[in-house]
Amino acid sequence: MTKPLLDVEDLRVRFHLRTGTVEAVRGVSFQLGRERLGIVGESGSGKSQTGRAILGLTPPPGEVTAKRLAFDGIDLLTASKRTLRHLRGGRISMVMQDPKYSLNPVMTIGEQIIEAYQAHAKAGRNEARDKALAMLEAVKMRDPGRVFSLYPHEVSGGMGQRAMIAMMLVTEPDLLIADEPTSALDVTVSMEVLRILDELVSERGMGLIFISHDLKLVSSFCDRVLVMYAGRVVEELEAKNLREAQHPYTQGLMRCLPTLANDVRPLPTLNRDPSWAL
Amino acid sequence: MIDIQNLSVVYGTGRLRVDAVKNVSFSVAQGAAYGLVGESGSGKSTVLRAICGLAPISGGRVLIDGKEVTTPRSKDFYRTVQMVFQDPYASLHPRHTVDRTLSEPLAIHGEKDAEARILQALKEVGLGSSFRFRYPHQLSGGQRQRIAIARALILRPKVLLLDEPTSALDASVQAEILNLLDDLRRRLGLTYILVSHDLAVVAHLCERLLVMRHGEAIEEMTAEALRSGKASNDYTQSLIQASQGFTRDSHPPAQALAG
Repeated sequence: MTKPLLDVEDLRVRFHLRTGTVEAVRGVSFQLGRERLGIVGESGSGKSQTGRAILGLTPPPGEVTAKRLAFDGIDLLTASKRTLRHLRGGRISMVMQDPKYSLNPVMTIGEQIIEAYQAHAKAGRNEARDKALAMLEAVKMRDPGRVFSLYPHEVSGGMGQRAMIAMMLVTEPDLLIADEPTSALDVTVSMEVLRILDELVSERGMGLIFISHDLKLVSSFCDRVLVMYAGRVVEELEAKNLREAQHPYTQGLMRCLPTLANDVRPLPTLNRDPSWAL
Repeated sequence: MIDIQNLSVVYGTGRLRVDAVKNVSFSVAQGAAYGLVGESGSGKSTVLRAICGLAPISGGRVLIDGKEVTTPRSKDFYRTVQMVFQDPYASLHPRHTVDRTLSEPLAIHGEKDAEARILQALKEVGLGSSFRFRYPHQLSGGQRQRIAIARALILRPKVLLLDEPTSALDASVQAEILNLLDDLRRRLGLTYILVSHDLAVVAHLCERLLVMRHGEAIEEMTAEALRSGKASNDYTQSLIQASQGFTRDSHPPAQALAG
C-alpha cells in the first residue's frame, strides 16, 4: 500500500471546563487512503470532534493532542497557521450538516463559491465565475445560472446542501470530510446528494470521511466503517461485513432499529456495558 | 374515534396562497394507531396541527368521538386529545422543573391530587420520582421526550398526536421510546396518530398509514402491505427504496427532487 493520505494515531481531544476535564476523543487511530471511510456513533461519541480536530477546528477551550496527525506527510499539529489556512478549504474541505446555518445568508451562492475558489487559486473573476458555474452543474443543479445568483434562503435544503458541496469541491481537495451531510434532508433528496458525492469522489479520486449516526446509511455508502463509542473506536470493519459485526455495541445498534422486513416487538434496546467505555 | 373529512388547510391569500393540505380524509378507530408519512412540505404535520387547533381548518371537518371540533378548541377537547412534539429540546420550558411542567396541565383543568398524579405520570413513562425536580438541561434527550409524553398523558387523554416523536433521538433511544409508546397504547387503550418520515418507525407502531405528498393523500395502506412491499404507487415505492439505504447502481425517481 502506498503512503496514506491521512494518518491519525492516538488522537485525543480534551475540553478543560470549570467542572473538570472532559475527554471527547480518547485515542483514535486510523489511516485513510483514497477511499470512503465512515465514522458512526451516537451523539456524544466524539465522531464530529474527530472530524473537526483533523481540520484544526476544535472550538476553544478544546485541546488536541496526538502521537501523529499527518496529512500527506504534513504534520497538522505543528504546521503554521499559514499552512493550515492553505490546507483548509484547499486540499481538505468539510461539508457541514445543515446548509441553513453553514452558508452565508447575505451572499449569493455564486459569490460564495467564487470566494472559496479565489481564496485558494490565483484566478481572475471570469475564470472563477466559469469554474463556479461548472461546479454547480457538476452537482446537478438544473439551472446553474439561476442558482448562481440566488441567496441561500431562496433554495431548498437539498439544493443548499448541493451548493455547499459545490463550494467545498471547487478547489479540488484531496480529502473531504462530510459531517452528517444528509441528516437535515429528506430521504429521497439525501439519496440524490449521496449519489452526487459518490460520483465526485470516485471521479476525482478523493479521500472521504463520512461522519454519521446512521449505521445503515454509512454501511451502504462507504468502503470501511469505524464505530465510535464514548470517544473511542470500538470496532473497525469492512462496510459489507457489517452484519458480522463482533462488538456488542455495533450489534446492539443494528438490532434496535425497526425494519420494514421483520416486525420485532418489543424492540431490543441497548444495554450499555460500562466496560465498553474503558 | 377520529374522523377527518376532506380536510384542507390554506395559508395566505392571493399570490401568497399556499395549500398546505388538500382534501385529505381518513378515519382512525378507537385504540388504533394511524401513520402519516411523507417528506418535508408534504403537509403531514399540518394535518396534526389542524386537528389540535394549531393550524386553521380551511375546509372539511374534523370529528373527534363523533363530534365536530369547535374553534377555538374547548377544554374538553384537550382532555381528549394531546400532542407530543418532535424536539424535546424545544418543547419543554428550559426554566421550569419537571414538576412544574407536569403540574401546569393539571392546574389549567382544575385537577386535584396533583402530587399523586405527577408521581404516577413519571412512573408510567419509566422515570422515577428522583426526576421530579430536575430541569430539562439535567435530562438526556430520551428522558426529555419521556417527560413530554408524561405531560401529554397526565390528563388521561384518549388520543395522542405524535409529531416525529423520535427523529431527534439516537437509534438506541428511539427503540426505548417506541417500546414505551407501544406499551402505553396497550395499557391505556390510547389512539395514536403518528407523523414520521421514517417508514420503518411508522410500520412498527401503526396498523394503517397514509402516504402524503405536496399536501395530498397519495395512498392509504396497511402496515402489512408496506412490509411486504405491496405499495401500488410509484412515489411510495421510491420512499421504500430510499429507506433501504444507498444503492450505487439504481436511478433515482425522476421527480424525487421536484419539491
